[in-house]
Amino acid sequence: MTAPSAPRKLSILREGTSQYLAVDPDGFRAHIRDNKQRALKSRLMTAKEAVERFVSDGDYLTYECNYLMRGPNEVVHEIIRQGKKRLWAAGKFTYVDVALLVDAGCVSRADCGFFLSAPPIDRALKEGRLEVFEYSNVIMTLRLQAGAMGVPFLPVRSFGGTDGFDHSGAKLITDPYTGDPITIVPALNPDVAVIHAHQADVFGNARIFGTGVSDVESALASKKVIISAEEIVETAEIRRNPGATSIPYYAVDAVVHSPYGSYPGTCPGYYGSDPEGVFEVFRAIMSDQVQPYLDKWIRPFETFEQMLDERVGKPKLEAMRARETAREGYSA
Amino acid sequence: MTRAEAFSEREVAMCTVAHLIEDGRTYWAAGGGTPLYAVLLGQKLYAPDAQYVTEDGVISPEPLLPFEPMMTMVASRAVHHALQWGTMNSAGVHAQLGHMDYGVLNTLQVDQHGNINSTFLGEYGGSGRRFGGPGGADTIAACCWRTILITDQDRRKFVKQVDFISSPGFLDGTPGARERAGLPRDTGPWRVVTPWAMYDYSERRLRLIARVPWVSVEEILAECEWKPLVASEVQVLEPPTEEELQLLRTELDVRGQTTDAAGGWITWDGEQYVRA
Repeated sequence: MTAPSAPRKLSILREGTSQYLAVDPDGFRAHIRDNKQRALKSRLMTAKEAVERFVSDGDYLTYECNYLMRGPNEVVHEIIRQGKKRLWAAGKFTYVDVALLVDAGCVSRADCGFFLSAPPIDRALKEGRLEVFEYSNVIMTLRLQAGAMGVPFLPVRSFGGTDGFDHSGAKLITDPYTGDPITIVPALNPDVAVIHAHQADVFGNARIFGTGVSDVESALASKKVIISAEEIVETAEIRRNPGATSIPYYAVDAVVHSPYGSYPGTCPGYYGSDPEGVFEVFRAIMSDQVQPYLDKWIRPFETFEQMLDERVGKPKLEAMRARETAREGYSA
Repeated sequence: MTRAEAFSEREVAMCTVAHLIEDGRTYWAAGGGTPLYAVLLGQKLYAPDAQYVTEDGVISPEPLLPFEPMMTMVASRAVHHALQWGTMNSAGVHAQLGHMDYGVLNTLQVDQHGNINSTFLGEYGGSGRRFGGPGGADTIAACCWRTILITDQDRRKFVKQVDFISSPGFLDGTPGARERAGLPRDTGPWRVVTPWAMYDYSERRLRLIARVPWVSVEEILAECEWKPLVASEVQVLEPPTEEELQLLRTELDVRGQTTDAAGGWITWDGEQYVRA
């Protein structure tokens, strides 16, 4: 096969008209050069310090998995406690996180892959406190993939033809190689990613076991990365099995030791969810009772650990761990 | 197999889909809930070599049933003894590559060309109501070779044109519409299953091909906002069996979350099935 002799005309056939996070791969590279710690120095800190230093009002935020499944819930609670404002959330694979953050006054824009719509979302939309831009779960994770590759966009085989496309940053172009129409979506380089891992060393080398949504993509694509981890392990342990490292230290800005950090959700292989806690947060969202939920579970406490001690209690946490009997595959 | 004597309408839809599941095929089940239960029902009773993936990139797990509440993905019991653990992008890319034979979805609203709305009822951005968004369904509907859609038989859900295309069917129904939108060739909607009926597509338009014994064609058409095509011979579907319901109720939907116990029920009165 040889290349066609006449150059093909590149044309944009259709464009989404919604606002999207500006695409700037060279700006991202410069940020990485100027801000990321290349030395093996400890990044261990509290959730309070991590959120104070690395989450700013107006940031684009991506969290990994969700409040019910290996969510970085300690850090999410801290974001709410510190009252961060005007965040733009990557609302993919989400049941309750967006509704919690919107009703807490933290999030005012959301890219939608999937998040449970509920009275707090409806009210925020009606009152103009929330703008939503339309994608899908996979389109969001492919945007993060593009961001994690350092390229400005990615061609994708889904999303074309939908009404979501028209309310997004996607474009339909003529593929310069085949001549066929192809959808491209803008790379996503969030300001901050919050990710809950099973294990990390103090430098940020992190191990995640089991399945997930886009942990690695989010870590590499984001300007600032907060890893919370169930266990802090020695670097010698990381070096013993380098193939098990999911996220390398130089992408990471903060490491938070966060045992039971996904409560009330599950951290697969370590502990099961607390069904009572899962139902409670669902009920809070669906019955528009987020404020009482925040007042019960987040605002009265200095730390997540204090909440676990006083509100959940050791017997329940131990029962969650004991109930998690499927443990194969959750170690290195 | 024993014909069951009492069941809910949504149980009927899941059992009908279970009969469509084939050995040696891959199924991408959207989210948890109805699509996943229907695939598992078919795999466990009729097609042991049917394989499935979920949005978190898990391939062919042997889940420990029942699932904990809401825990049909990522959680250890749901992903137990899979062949591979992946990510959302691995599932999405495998579908782009053509590895997914069938997608199984459920939705709020479907139209005559099989387009799916799970985003907004009413005029977008207006006073209507927002729903969760496409989730994984957009990629499933775009990239699996064939898609099976589960929805209710209700004229508000079975409409001529969806209010918002979240996930693509045959779009405007013209030949090549999907390809012109950049979607993979030779893909698209294949069946729609409701508690009352099953549809295929003729020239990219929905066509009624089967009904349950207790509902007439006329009753079905009355619950469509427009008049779909009707096959020259409308088949009669088998009612659920006791074995199917046993599995569904004791291992899959153990909390009745998807069976819509408050909705319609069907009972056997000694001579025929009647809607309660």
